[in-house]
Amino acid sequence: MATLTLPEEKYIELYGPTPAHTPAGGWNNGEPDKLVKTHCCFCGVQCGIQLKVKDNKVIGFEPWEEFPVNQGKLCPKGVKRYMQNDHPDRLLSPLIRNESGFREAGWYEALHKTANAIKDIQAKYGKDAFAFLGGASMTNEKAYLNGKFARIALGTANIDYNGRLCMVSAGAANRMAFGVDRAANPWSDIPLAKVIILTGTNLAECFPILTDYVWRARDAGAKIIVIDPRITPIGRTADLFLPVRPGRDSALANGILHVMIERGWTDEKFIAEHTTDFDKVRQLVKRYTPEVTEKITGIPAKSIIAAAEMWGTAETSMLLHARGIEHHTKGTENVLTYINLVLATGRIGRPGCGYGTITGQGNGQGGREHGQRCNQLPGGRDISKPEHREFIADFWGIPEPELPKVGLTACEIIDAIERGEIKGLLSISFNPLVSIPDSERTRKALEKLEFFACIDFFLSETARYADVVLAGSLQEEDEGTVTTGEGRCVRLRNSVSPPENARVDWKIICELAELLGKEKFFKYKNAGEIFTELTAASKGGPIDYSGMTYEKIEQNMGIFWPCPAPDHPGTPRLFEGGKFHHPDGRAKFHAYEYRPPAEDVDAEFPLFFTSGRVVSQYLSGTQTRRIGGLVDQYPEPLCEMHPLLAERLGIKDRDIVRVVTRRGEITVPAQVVKSIRPDTVFIPYHWPGKKAANLVTNRALDPISKIPEFKVCACRVEKVSDAPKLAAAGQPIPLKSK
Amino acid sequence: MRLPNRAALIAGTALTLATVAGIAVGSSGMRHFDPALTGYAIGALMAAFALGYRFTVWAQRPPSRMYFKRGFELMFRRAAAVAATPSSPSVAVAPSPRAESGDEASPKRTATGASQPLFPHGAGTLGYALARNFVAQEFIRRRGGYRWIMHLCLSGGCTLAFAITFPLVFGWIHFSSFPDNAEMYHVAVFGMNVDSFSVHSFKAFIMFNLLNISAILVLIGLVMAGWRRFTDPGERATQSFYEDIVPLLLILAVTATGLALTVSYKFLAGRGHGLWAIVHMVSVVALLLYIPFGKLFHMFQRTCSLCVSRYKKVGEAGARAHCRRCGEDFASQMHVDDLKTVLDELGFDYRFEGAKGEVHYQDICPACRRGLLALNQGRTIGR
Amino acid sequence: MIGAFDGNEFFLDPSRCIGCQACVQACAECGTHRGVPMIHLEYVHRATGVQTAPVVCMHCEDPTCARVCPADAIKQDDHGIVHSAAKPRCVACSNCVIACPFGVPKMKVELDLMMKCDMCYDRTSVGKKPMCATVCPSGALYYGPSEYIEKFRREQPVNEFQFGRQTVRTKVNMMTSPELKALPFEVLDFLPWEGKDFDPFELSRAGAPDAAAAAVFDKTP
Ligand code: HEM
Ligand code: SF4
Ligand code: SF4
Ligand code: SF4
Repeated sequence: MATLTLPEEKYIELYGPTPAHTPAGGWNNGEPDKLVKTHCCFCGVQCGIQLKVKDNKVIGFEPWEEFPVNQGKLCPKGVKRYMQNDHPDRLLSPLIRNESGFREAGWYEALHKTANAIKDIQAKYGKDAFAFLGGASMTNEKAYLNGKFARIALGTANIDYNGRLCMVSAGAANRMAFGVDRAANPWSDIPLAKVIILTGTNLAECFPILTDYVWRARDAGAKIIVIDPRITPIGRTADLFLPVRPGRDSALANGILHVMIERGWTDEKFIAEHTTDFDKVRQLVKRYTPEVTEKITGIPAKSIIAAAEMWGTAETSMLLHARGIEHHTKGTENVLTYINLVLATGRIGRPGCGYGTITGQGNGQGGREHGQRCNQLPGGRDISKPEHREFIADFWGIPEPELPKVGLTACEIIDAIERGEIKGLLSISFNPLVSIPDSERTRKALEKLEFFACIDFFLSETARYADVVLAGSLQEEDEGTVTTGEGRCVRLRNSVSPPENARVDWKIICELAELLGKEKFFKYKNAGEIFTELTAASKGGPIDYSGMTYEKIEQNMGIFWPCPAPDHPGTPRLFEGGKFHHPDGRAKFHAYEYRPPAEDVDAEFPLFFTSGRVVSQYLSGTQTRRIGGLVDQYPEPLCEMHPLLAERLGIKDRDIVRVVTRRGEITVPAQVVKSIRPDTVFIPYHWPGKKAANLVTNRALDPISKIPEFKVCACRVEKVSDAPKLAAAGQPIPLKSK
Repeated sequence: MRLPNRAALIAGTALTLATVAGIAVGSSGMRHFDPALTGYAIGALMAAFALGYRFTVWAQRPPSRMYFKRGFELMFRRAAAVAATPSSPSVAVAPSPRAESGDEASPKRTATGASQPLFPHGAGTLGYALARNFVAQEFIRRRGGYRWIMHLCLSGGCTLAFAITFPLVFGWIHFSSFPDNAEMYHVAVFGMNVDSFSVHSFKAFIMFNLLNISAILVLIGLVMAGWRRFTDPGERATQSFYEDIVPLLLILAVTATGLALTVSYKFLAGRGHGLWAIVHMVSVVALLLYIPFGKLFHMFQRTCSLCVSRYKKVGEAGARAHCRRCGEDFASQMHVDDLKTVLDELGFDYRFEGAKGEVHYQDICPACRRGLLALNQGRTIGR
Repeated sequence: MIGAFDGNEFFLDPSRCIGCQACVQACAECGTHRGVPMIHLEYVHRATGVQTAPVVCMHCEDPTCARVCPADAIKQDDHGIVHSAAKPRCVACSNCVIACPFGVPKMKVELDLMMKCDMCYDRTSVGKKPMCATVCPSGALYYGPSEYIEKFRREQPVNEFQFGRQTVRTKVNMMTSPELKALPFEVLDFLPWEGKDFDPFELSRAGAPDAAAAAVFDKTP
């Protein structure tokens, strides 16, 4: 029983989050010893940045203008990322839980305790009763290692990662439509497009660097269509803004395609030569007339027609989407219906023509490629395909039957813990208490674990429940590679070594493997050796890195996979010449009827609730809530609502409001703004405890990809009159909003 | 091209003459004037002229003049009394939506304030500002402890040195040994005996070494300032040789040569004294002549801060200016009105007029001006 | 060594701004005022929309701020850069703060000192780019050769502003419609509430996008 032993304030006092406002050595910390060319850790763009290092501490940064993707540009998270180093909350040695919270422990004790607990639980309840949760902010090397560790050292089927909360629906859809899971184009195709659809992506706040790509397209005459329930900064000046009602995305895409087919704005030649199943779609969208679509989506018919005309008649185009259409119980269907729009025009696989999902996590792309998912083996192989299992079992040198089968996905693992089926958990860089919907249930699940160990550099809200915390490494304390949202594998360089008694993550995992008796599979001297193994393991697989080396990546400022041979330059743009990765070489249309979200509005809960990010915070905030400058920028979650709604509810700006759903409630200050649909409220999700948006979100899963429905559920909003204490939380954010 | 400035010429001349008179009277008709110090005296007279001239030129600039003028006026007015000063061509200010409180009581206060026209209401503010900003230099402490110590050493040391040397040079202070006892000294100030002491007393030690003490203080300050100029990235980037390094070098020259004099007669039996004396004099005169024209002029310019202290105090209590766009209180109405006058005098005209009326840009708060930049740009391109 | 500025200029285009504050965070990294950001970034009016206004010092040719300074504290150098107040001189009167037509200088009350954007003089004077314009992800702040701007931008730069009767010329360029030679300023149109009851949702230009106007929704759910 892992209940908390201290009150929350005490954990905060001891382990943070403490917002650090000054860098190592103070603002006047002098000249650096060296500049290290590496990357930002806070999103899938992976901007190049140079870290200033002095006395084994990161003391500042200098833009890295030669790196082609961002050319020195950074968002606020990137600018202040260096402040996570030399942080007062940094875990400096392993911790073991006791009556007074945690005590510091040596590595010998912490690792043995963990290994013994794993053995005990597995002996008592079976291998699969111990689960592993990984993260998509870690290097490819670690993603690969996690998968191998779970399959060989733990022998569990139940390994998954927090990318399950991110874009797995897009990944699934990509595989279904194209036979491969990667953005089809490099970002450099964006400025060449004449029309751009941005759907369900708060691009300016979540992938700020891509803004300039979009504006460059606009400079060259492109039209921008933004589809979102909120007028986000990228939407403010869009040529066409479609404020979609939450949970209606597939209907909208079907509606647009209806108009395109009716007006003949499809590329029948391309469809005939390079795709299959268009007839089913043609049949299906017949009933999505603009009027019908308007009814479902809350977008005026004339806007739908305008979008179809802009998109249908363009010469070149890009369609980009992110979590807004993916975080749904029909996330995969949403993405597939939007892919239909791309395939129907044949505008893919050419300069300025294509499609992409924008991955949100630092290694959202690479993290989902190398086998740390419950259904996947290295090289993007499928764990249920006999020939794939055979290859990897062989490669690792284990008998194929010993290789575990498909396991549970991230949310299902938490559910299984709650049901008492999974008894032990090892997690790394994952904070499910903040990031998984329906936090109360997550908390109950954590309390049920017989043993829980975490590898982390800060004590996350989830790690407070751990029995053993293994002090791991920050991104700049290790080296390796990550694969960015455009499929470019880039090189992270080691800037500093872990402080005091903290250790590099991959070494911790290898040491655990050793204690579990599997050391012969984990004999790595450095991260480079893991990478070499990873690339070899990917050879011939759907995701082929086998032609990559660290040197080659560095020289080329990143290599796009597939890169199947040492002399292969990599593949920035997929599907050139209309060649797709399905066995028949064709792309596949998918006909999906619109269906409502798992929980729709009704008389009791009449409003849509949706959540998302703010530009200054990253995911569950474990890192960014510890960086003072970022905290100041948007200190507390606010509930955005339209003045028409606010007026009806008697709410004024900064009044304290309570948002109630069937799962829970959250009390935050209101931000009354005209930039959101009047039937929808929005709260960003980066905060824990009582401020967690995920207290109210719905853990209903997409049947195909098992992504939860973060982006829509039904709620009720009421003004709180008895919340004097919360008024303090209503401090205006620094951006003057008068 | 600056034309010769009559008022400044007059002020320079007046200050020079006043110094001459001071020397003549203070040294009891040149009786106590030490001819060896003639060079210093001439340098001081030239510096006096330059200082008077420069100060006047500066104080005549519209913004500086406005502050000095208001400074004197407000000395004699109660803080709240200025609320409704009809001192400027005030444009009618639109009723501001957020001005719920604050100025409704002001007319009454005006009446009481005006009833004692010559009472120095500002004396308190003035004394406080002098003690806090000139003596304690508390505001520099807030900029940084290092900079505060540095500046206390520099300004304290220099002020002390000037306080000793000028009276000596001008013959205002004069030491003479007792006729009967060569070990006892008289101190005469403006020709009057005020004290006497033995050369062996602690007092004597302090008296004769005050200059050396001030030199040590200045040296500490100089080293600290030099270090900062050398290491602080911001200072290194923005400093200029003439503005920032020259003053330090000049002060260093004066201090070093002065100390060399002490060393020469204390430890080297006066060897090299003559040469050092000349070099010291040259450096002192150079410093004196530099003061009115370079960075060190700040010690006089900062008198303006005394006016500003009063101005702010009165402005806070008086009528407030509310932005015509957002209604926010952003300055005192007096300040806004005075700036309109100053801008007019400087030849700027930020008045807008259109079909809907007239707006002076001074009535818009800085935050709204920033917003208006984006709004106006957006309008030209339809965003 | 690369020379100061080196043919590069500063271009400001608020219409591209996404309000991310990268510039503000990076400004605090500038060597002449490390830890204290100087650039301004504010919502024009959050209640009505997400438009934001990034404002750097425009480095006026005849700087109003310097002219109204009673203490001669604001100096313009040979490159045309208008610097922060000289530390020994500034008497913290706020004349410059209130008079600058762009609302740029900041009064640091705790320091009794005016500080402002100096175009990262520590960087630009040795040929580097200013922090804000290097990191700005949207291109709202750009520093580089004017040829780039002329070639690739739809909007074109001007460096003249008409504030009512006052013409202000600046070193920093503002992007605007290619037809314009100067950016005309209008104030009266942006005082919507004058003479009426104050309505916080009116305080912006007419036509600021309203999600409700673009959407079909159930008026009484
Ligand atoms: C009592 C009136 C004085 C006031 C209020 C005053 C004020 C100041 C201030 C505010 C600074 C800037 C300090 C900083 O922010 O770092 C400064 C610098 C300086 N002051 Fe004064 N000052 C006074 C008198 C003097 C005197 C008498 C001297 C000696 C000649 C002097 C020499 C200097 C020097 C050399 C600096 C520049 C230090 C550097 O290199 O940064 N000041 N003063
Ligand atoms: S968070 Fe993303 S966009 Fe921002 S600096 Fe880091 S990598 Fe670039
Ligand atoms: S923009 Fe303002 S602060 Fe900058 S030079 Fe011009 S007047 Fe001075
Ligand atoms: S605040 Fe300082 S810099 Fe600004 S006008 Fe006043 S004295 Fe000059």
